[in-house]
Amino acid sequence: MNYKKSNFLIRKVHSLLAIIPMGLFIILHITLNSSVFYGGITAYKTVINVMQNIPLITEAEIIIIAIPIIFHAIYGLWIVYLAKNNVLTYTYYRNWAFYLQRITAVITLIYLLFHVAILRFLNHDASVIISVLNRTLQNPLFFILYVIGVLSAIYHFTNGIFSFLISWGVIVNDKSQKVLQYIVLLLFVLLGGLSVGILGKITYF
Amino acid sequence: MENRHIKLKIKRQDSPDSLPWWEEFCIPYKPNMNIVSVLMEIRKNPVNSKGEKTNPVVWECNCLEEVCGACSMLINGIPKQACASLIDKIYEKTGFEKKIVLEPLKKFPVIRDLTIDRHSMFDNLKRIKAWVSVDGSFAIGRGPRFAEREQKWAYVISRCMTCGCCQEACPNVNPKSNFIGPSAIAQVRLFNTHPIGAMHKEIRLNALMSNGGIQECGNAQNCRKVCPKEIPLTTHIAALNRDTVKYSIWRWFSE
Ligand code: HEM
Ligand code: SF4
Repeated sequence: MNYKKSNFLIRKVHSLLAIIPMGLFIILHITLNSSVFYGGITAYKTVINVMQNIPLITEAEIIIIAIPIIFHAIYGLWIVYLAKNNVLTYTYYRNWAFYLQRITAVITLIYLLFHVAILRFLNHDASVIISVLNRTLQNPLFFILYVIGVLSAIYHFTNGIFSFLISWGVIVNDKSQKVLQYIVLLLFVLLGGLSVGILGKITYF
Repeated sequence: MENRHIKLKIKRQDSPDSLPWWEEFCIPYKPNMNIVSVLMEIRKNPVNSKGEKTNPVVWECNCLEEVCGACSMLINGIPKQACASLIDKIYEKTGFEKKIVLEPLKKFPVIRDLTIDRHSMFDNLKRIKAWVSVDGSFAIGRGPRFAEREQKWAYVISRCMTCGCCQEACPNVNPKSNFIGPSAIAQVRLFNTHPIGAMHKEIRLNALMSNGGIQECGNAQNCRKVCPKEIPLTTHIAALNRDTVKYSIWRWFSE
């Protein structure tokens, strides 16, 4: 049978990479950052130092973080282009979620470029990173932009969990889809609240 | 009662290649009318609301009881069957004598006025072999029975009338994408569950996994909301996501 020419596999890979490793990474990232609540600036500095000293960290960053995100983002932009959104006609929540998944994809992309440029490439020393971040966040405009970026990424991820579990056929019937919908919304609120809390905490270091 | 009117704004198009234009109509109100009977009034007396004589509005219909799918159109922006859209029900929502807007579905080529060409949907059904193959040159005896448990939900899928409402509402069905759309996916579920149909399961799964197949679904789930036959399309899509994933793994290792 001729099934060579199909984007089936590439779509599944796009979906899987978003959870493993990208989703796992975002959870780890938020977890480590929440060290600011337990020991403030010193704990945070230790965490950054520990992370930077993990053996083969650069290789790991490239293979586990950079390549999957770049692939997911490029193919994702193609998926964004393919849709013809119609939320004004069909105002159901899932349709909005579909639209938001695409809007947050673009915001997350812009945010990530900025975030990685400032805090990974332009600055690399723990104390410098913290003071740059602290100064930037004290500007209300940047604080709001950061909140938008972080919440976009988290909405994209949590709503993505819903999409992922359906795309892989894990969740099938109406009842489980409905429960899952509430779970991912709750997860958005929890992770979102935590992340905004972290930003607030760093602002007032 | 006598002086009440039904006001309509209809998107018209003379031929597949010509540009669309709007025309308004005003016809006397009677209780219990539906969009089809209103359009019939226009056909009887093709005069627009300015009092000018015009060509009667062209539309398609057959069954008049929401089982054929031919009279699908956008009624106040939402895809529905004209026959099943009662004027009084519409007014309950919008208010009496509020202008009703009729347009042809946007995801299909217009033939004339409200008549569209749903060919693409029938082509999709051919692509996924939405039938049970039993024809042969000799009798092969009785086939296996359809289990009652499965009959119950499979019957609901068989009510699909290829009306196009789900295609219309899906953001991933559009000229940029080649997505097969929700209804054909649900039909795969039906024929892959049917005991005889299941004998060609892999052919349908392969078709669903080819370009433009089930992987293009992005879970906007509008199909589920607009389907007039209340087919739980999103459940069937998820179930076939499961089947195609399993099958692709099996195909990788075992075929
Ligand atoms: C950087 C730019 C990004 C772009 C352009 C992007 C784009 C997209 C798009 C368009 C989808 C929808 C796929 C579909 O409906 O079929 C999607 C799904 C998803 N994205 Fe992203 N994304 C980005 C970053 C991220 C990040 C950082 C995460 C992190 C955790 C993530 C996690 C997910 C998940 C879990 C899904 C669901 C997968 C699925 O639908 O099966 N994305 N992404
Ligand atoms: S699945 Fe429902 S909306 Fe789609 S074509 Fe069939 S009957 Fe119409």
